[in-house]
Amino acid sequence: MTNELPLKDVKICDFMWVMAGPASTRILADLGATVVRIESPTRVDTARTLQPFLGNQLGPDSSGLFANCNAGKFGISLDLGNPAARAVVHDLVRWADVVTESFSPKAMRAWGFDYESLRKVNPGLIMLSSCLMGQTGPLAKIAGFGNMAAAISGFTNLTGWSDRPPSGVFGAYTDYIAPRFTAMAILAALDHRRRTGQGQYIDQSQAECAIHFLGPAILDYTVNGRVDGRVGNSDAAFAPHGVYPAAGDDDWVAIVCRDDDDWRRLCGAMENEELARDARYASVAGRLEHREAIDSSIADWSRTLNRGAIESRLQSHGVPAHQVQNSADAYADPQFTHRGHFVALDHPSLGKFTVEGPRAKLSRTPAAVRRAAPSLGQDNQHVLERILGYDEARISELVASGALG
Amino acid sequence: MLSPYRVLDLTTERGLLCGQMLGDMGADVIKVEPPGGCSARGIGPFYKDAAHPDRSLYWWAYNRNKRAITLDIERDAGRELLRRLVERADFLIESHNPGYLSQRNLGFADLAGINPALIYVSITPFGQDGPKATYADSDLIIMAAGGPLILAGDADRPPVRLCIPQAYLHASADAAVAALAAHHERVRSGLGQHVDVAAVQSVAMATQSYILAAPLGSPEARRMSGGVKFGPLHIPLVWPASDGYVAMTFLFGSALGVFTAKLMHYLCEKGFCDEATRDKDWIAYGEQLFSGAEPLSEFERVKELVRNFTRSHTKNELLQLAVERGFLITPVTTIEEVVESRQFASRGYFQNVAHPELGESFRYPGPFAKFSATPIEYRRRPPRLGEHNSEIYCGELDLSERAVAELARAGII
Repeated sequence: MTNELPLKDVKICDFMWVMAGPASTRILADLGATVVRIESPTRVDTARTLQPFLGNQLGPDSSGLFANCNAGKFGISLDLGNPAARAVVHDLVRWADVVTESFSPKAMRAWGFDYESLRKVNPGLIMLSSCLMGQTGPLAKIAGFGNMAAAISGFTNLTGWSDRPPSGVFGAYTDYIAPRFTAMAILAALDHRRRTGQGQYIDQSQAECAIHFLGPAILDYTVNGRVDGRVGNSDAAFAPHGVYPAAGDDDWVAIVCRDDDDWRRLCGAMENEELARDARYASVAGRLEHREAIDSSIADWSRTLNRGAIESRLQSHGVPAHQVQNSADAYADPQFTHRGHFVALDHPSLGKFTVEGPRAKLSRTPAAVRRAAPSLGQDNQHVLERILGYDEARISELVASGALG
Repeated sequence: MLSPYRVLDLTTERGLLCGQMLGDMGADVIKVEPPGGCSARGIGPFYKDAAHPDRSLYWWAYNRNKRAITLDIERDAGRELLRRLVERADFLIESHNPGYLSQRNLGFADLAGINPALIYVSITPFGQDGPKATYADSDLIIMAAGGPLILAGDADRPPVRLCIPQAYLHASADAAVAALAAHHERVRSGLGQHVDVAAVQSVAMATQSYILAAPLGSPEARRMSGGVKFGPLHIPLVWPASDGYVAMTFLFGSALGVFTAKLMHYLCEKGFCDEATRDKDWIAYGEQLFSGAEPLSEFERVKELVRNFTRSHTKNELLQLAVERGFLITPVTTIEEVVESRQFASRGYFQNVAHPELGESFRYPGPFAKFSATPIEYRRRPPRLGEHNSEIYCGELDLSERAVAELARAGII
């Protein structure tokens, strides 16, 4: 068999919650890892309370965010404060290759589930902790979400217009970056363990991962002493470079000229000979200097046209352009369809539930979304009986203890 | 962690982060550039603002822990050298337009013939095929197509991007994960495969699942000046401080309402609101606003008094309150404040990387995680153009000094 899922032999005991953590184990689940996600029966996962909702109806399982971050996983409800939960956690840790958690630092220690304790149960364990600022430092304990990490690591301030307060990048931006670093760290640590037998502990700060996405701006400060500010949609090297109005309510099209050829092609596509002949605009330096005048000429042309028509027309001339897409646009986009980006799953109680598909296409062993995200405690029986091998009496005892909620 | 493995990095300016992530984790990454240098070497800013192929800070940011050779894949002799390197490589990463390498007999099928265990990773704007696969692109175009762009900005202006290009970083990071997953499978099967990453899908991650609004039958989110708009509700996420701005999560519901309640108790204690305001049901508050049980005008009044509170403190005072009392507040920091932050300093995050050729050291963003057994090391500063030609061509492909000099004269390397 060569077409088995690549990570079919990887077992993950996943204590992570909300967004950044679960999004990382979702990637690994698509690639074949068995992920058992532990969820508190009393403290609701914030992601379950966040938009968008299936049918626009708030419900315990209807959050599209939760569904998207947790598809393909098994779910067990476990009250970590309940003494009876302890043995279950230890059995899961013994079963697992990897333990992941994304609580505020010290929460795992308070339960006795820190790395030093758990490696006694499973000496080859790989454990990864992911939180906003890392396990140490004066701000280690700061509670919060990715929108706050995006602010404190510089992203928010760099999104918006120079004459206004920051518009801010949308939502919990560092939560979109960190999951890839999490998944990669786990896979590299697994390879190291395979070769050496050595497990380890990984302390991941979501902010420290995300700052790599600001690398050139960080270096511009540490090397040149320059502090970048927000510049709207302008670019230091390209002009025109912007988002222009199209006909319709809040309809926009992004257009970029990467070089002088793009500019000539754009003028041709706009059938604007006056612009094409204007010597001031022939070089990028000139176009950067006269950015505003050029932007207003393009906007005069674009605002009466359909954004999809602008996209097709400019692309057929080889000019980078795309309509600015919302969800409905992306859902109808032929390229997203071609890539299989939207995957409709069968949810046991809610029916058809669409999530995003795997990002990367592996030619021989493609990833797959195997099941909808679990309801709270949906897989208690499966996990306890099939994965941990508990008998009926043991399971009844656990139910009676209240540890399962 | 990945020291046994060799990566050939043929990426253009689009995919550099992927190889760097593997290099940071120990892989032997060889950046393969055309004789004139990778396009990224021409991207600013530059050291002391003087353009120079070895002094692009964009290049520096994404090529640490790599060696660099030059090689002209437009010519037979160059392709032959690449094939020899492929024989002993574990990964090849590239970010050319679809079809570019296969037209030069260097596509996945061609190279798998030489080395069936090769994992061949392609990073492109829209994927290897499909109706938009040949679209002209840039960061802004991908952000427009993939969904994040429409969500950020002010309601009365066009959508706005994060002004440091992001799209190919998302794609590169996805590619690194997929490459390692393919490697995990290769340990079992002995076989490589082709990994095809489309940046437009990678950036959809930055919509916080809002890209699912339409198929789920949920309303679209609308951009709203440092916040979001849900139906009639405008919820700010950026709030004014006396010396700048802070990000504050001021939301409701069973998970977040408790934080809002805690904040409102503090505001009342400090005289920013009355007890009746403090005692609103912050868990049910969102539903009350949606149903109209709580008028929007009252929500506006609440936001104003919360603004009065944030405005009367500095960013740092608000951060201290957040640490001490568990409020969901962080400062909106500048790049300078990020680099000089006590938090990052206490973790030794920013790393000094020596550039002996300039006689200086510079602080770089540090290891992305702390590994207890295999800490990430910055072993090599970003390489100069062709810096390792002799080391690799003579030392590993066993070419003579003379043969290398000849290749250089012919413009192959």
